[in-house]
Amino acid sequence: MNRAITVRVNGTLHHETVDHRLLLSDFLRETLGLTGTHVGCGYEGRCGVCTVVYEGVAIKSCLMLAVQADGAAVLSVEGLARGEELHPLQRAMHDCHGLQCGFCTPGFLLTMYEFLKTPVSDPNTIRAAMNGVLCRCTGYVHIVAAVEQAARELAQMDPDERARWFPL
Amino acid sequence: MSTAPWVGQSLPRKEDRRLLTGEGQFVSDIVLPFMLEAAFLRSPHAHARILAIDTRAAAALPGVVAVRTGADFAALGPILSDLSVPNLPGVTQRPVFGPMPVDEVLYAGDLVAVVVAKNRYVAEDALQLIRVDYEPLPALLDPELALAPDAPRVYPEWRDNLVYAQEFRHGDAAAAFAQADVIVAERFRGHRCGATPMEPRATLASYTRAQGLTLWLTTQRSHIKRHLLGEYFKMPDSRIRVIAPPDVGGGFGVKAPLYREDLVICQLAMTLGKSVRWIENRQENLANIGQERDQIHDLELALRRDGRILGLRDRMLADCGDARVPIYVSFSMPWLGAMYLTNGYDIPNLEIDLKCVVTHKAGLTPSRAFGSFVPRFAIDRIVDIAARRLGLDPLAMREINLIKTFPHDTATGVHCDSGDFVGALAKASAAIGYADFRRAQTAARAEGRYVGVGFSLGIEFSGLPSQILVPMERQPGFGVASIKLDADGGVQLAHGDQAQGQGHDTTLSQVVADELGVTPEDVKVTAGDTQSSPFAAGTLASRMGGYTLSAALFAARGLKPKLAAIAAHLLQLPLGEVGDFEFAGGYVFPLGDPARRISLARIAETAFLAPTELPPGMEGGLEFTAHFEAATSGMQSTNVHVASVEVFPETGRVKILRYVAVDDAGMAVNPMLVRGQIHGGVALGISNAFQEEFLYDAQGRQTTDTLQNYLIAAAGDLPHIEVIEHHVPSPHTPLGSKGKGEGPTGMAPGALGNAIEDALSPLGVTLTQMPFTPERIWRLVAQAAGRGQE
Repeated sequence: MNRAITVRVNGTLHHETVDHRLLLSDFLRETLGLTGTHVGCGYEGRCGVCTVVYEGVAIKSCLMLAVQADGAAVLSVEGLARGEELHPLQRAMHDCHGLQCGFCTPGFLLTMYEFLKTPVSDPNTIRAAMNGVLCRCTGYVHIVAAVEQAARELAQMDPDERARWFPL
Repeated sequence: MSTAPWVGQSLPRKEDRRLLTGEGQFVSDIVLPFMLEAAFLRSPHAHARILAIDTRAAAALPGVVAVRTGADFAALGPILSDLSVPNLPGVTQRPVFGPMPVDEVLYAGDLVAVVVAKNRYVAEDALQLIRVDYEPLPALLDPELALAPDAPRVYPEWRDNLVYAQEFRHGDAAAAFAQADVIVAERFRGHRCGATPMEPRATLASYTRAQGLTLWLTTQRSHIKRHLLGEYFKMPDSRIRVIAPPDVGGGFGVKAPLYREDLVICQLAMTLGKSVRWIENRQENLANIGQERDQIHDLELALRRDGRILGLRDRMLADCGDARVPIYVSFSMPWLGAMYLTNGYDIPNLEIDLKCVVTHKAGLTPSRAFGSFVPRFAIDRIVDIAARRLGLDPLAMREINLIKTFPHDTATGVHCDSGDFVGALAKASAAIGYADFRRAQTAARAEGRYVGVGFSLGIEFSGLPSQILVPMERQPGFGVASIKLDADGGVQLAHGDQAQGQGHDTTLSQVVADELGVTPEDVKVTAGDTQSSPFAAGTLASRMGGYTLSAALFAARGLKPKLAAIAAHLLQLPLGEVGDFEFAGGYVFPLGDPARRISLARIAETAFLAPTELPPGMEGGLEFTAHFEAATSGMQSTNVHVASVEVFPETGRVKILRYVAVDDAGMAVNPMLVRGQIHGGVALGISNAFQEEFLYDAQGRQTTDTLQNYLIAAAGDLPHIEVIEHHVPSPHTPLGSKGKGEGPTGMAPGALGNAIEDALSPLGVTLTQMPFTPERIWRLVAQAAGRGQE
């Protein structure tokens, strides 16, 4: 059974007709071609690499149907940078070697995007906030360092400028 | 802004931007026109006869294109050949199998049928409509029972259940044990666990009569797979193109074998004439691949009273599961584990009796640490156990027995070309503050707190030379790289070790940039596509840092005489030696005379577009290929890890206080990336040692079928990992560099197991088994306290 939905993804409105059972992760990847969102577990919500920001909150897009997102706004990894300028968290991940294979990276970026709206640079708090996403390459050490760097930078930013990095 | 020299700098990676912005390209991101999706039906039984399969309802479902069972692939014949079975000194038996079983399944998760449909949703619907009539048969699940002479055989045509057996003998172990003051014997049981990359497998096959077979694959070794596919499908290699895309989501060995699913997908694409994609889901991933380390060691040490190890005996038993894993046949991991058993310890006399059995479980597939995870746990643990028996300090015990001088050949025949355990151990003990820790430990115990410290030593291979890799995998050990210049002077580097996240593009670019006097950004690196990259064994065994990196350097160096000759000609200088010229800033100029310079772009333009201006008699074009094989039978790094822990005996919980890795990469081309390799390796080792285990129930069904119960460590489960560099340059590579990647994983269980037992030493606990779950630690404490099992 199909249904017409309208979803705002990375600021752009998409009108699509989708099967009721289509997962939001597949909607992003297969319907819209936004393949930056990855799928790493059996749709059980454990690996966290499919995390996107939905109405301002980090959620696992494999645990949600596309039709549930009708009328909502979603931010995926493709929407983090402003043109050529990387989001402070993306840049910090690059500076600190916070990614290796990059498969889980979108999950960390979107999970910590929500976390960094109120930037905290304490490493233990950062570690606890990252528990919903799994990485097999980095041992998390450099990801923690990257989030610390981004948190420090965002904390020093003028609040209006900081808000511009968090459109959702 | 960074400047040359690039080698030695912690440059952020060239690979990052695409991955940070969602522009990475993984196999599952590739879409071909009219592509179909495949899904597999898998056995719920560990062992059963397939009496009948009814696919009619599935085939009738709208959107389903094909349903195939084992019978449809039977004509293809057996997969294993001399190309895909290790040719090692021991006794081997070979399982005979095709892409899909016809009438008998051999483990829970084994292939039964495949559906091809317009999308994965429909394919999965169809799987549920397939009716299979199974006759469940008894499952052989215990490797020790599999050894019994009257055990039922997994492969009825075999003499017994041994897929491989070898006796290693060196020196006179019997005499060593006869002379020993003390003999220490323990059984160490490894558990089934492994690497489990975040990206499951994916295969996309496309076939046209004109182009032949094109296969996009999550693989570490496209060339080897292409050659094996050519052999299997009786097609010339030239009709096959295997592409590992720029981005593969972690490999760790798991993506090195050729898998039966790959053959099925290829055959479907060829018979249907359509592009067919299969994306493995996590349940089938956990049920089938990434399982390793399933070994039992009955290990004995013969010791002199002063702590010197005189000899070693080990009865080593590996549960290889069904072993239907081409290239490895599940036994090359335990074999290499036996080869490296003595590891950093100088043990002159030994007997190792290696037996590898088949059972009704998933076949072992390689996982980072390759067969050595349990041997290294066992050897590092028994050294501590022996130290306690002898009343010696574990640090002193190591100082007595570690390999002190290099080169050194171990009793199993591993050539250790270079290293420094003495220095590394001193750095590790200084870093952890060993003497202070012992004082603090005494004070803590007085307060009823249990803290401990433990060391591990590691000899870790830096690639495997052809002398080992040819018999082990019928593959070359050499590294290979080709350099060519574009007509605008851009540098193209193609090599044979496609990455799965290691940062090869960046590291190789740094090396080439220094050699040719350009920036790393000027170097375009490609690998993974058999059509555009030179033939090599692929990414495995920490090959890159020693072998492929050296090949890249020699490829760049090999091009320079021609570049210099063209420069000399264009500058109207007498034709000098390459050493008369300097390469810097994108220019070539006479030594010390940058004013008279000519750009690489101009040289390339001449070589490609204006060959009339080349020196008389010179051929056009600019390219050079180098194969690098180190002039040694083994390159190794030497590493020492130390961990401190606090154990809470009431709950069995272990808190890692500190983890320090003292690691040798020969020289670090990019120190930040080397640290990243060590962090990730150690994290995998800790996660394996503490919380991961593939569990089978009494019927052989796997109960760890999701990431909810196969527990990969999250950030909060792991400590900060400290890294101290202790490089000993390799005498066999041009930069002194060594590989770093495979090794750190195997260091973790020894250091941590030793630390846990050290913490609990007032309670008399002996820790010989992983994972170190709270339950296991709690039970050991309870048993030691005489409170019984429950």
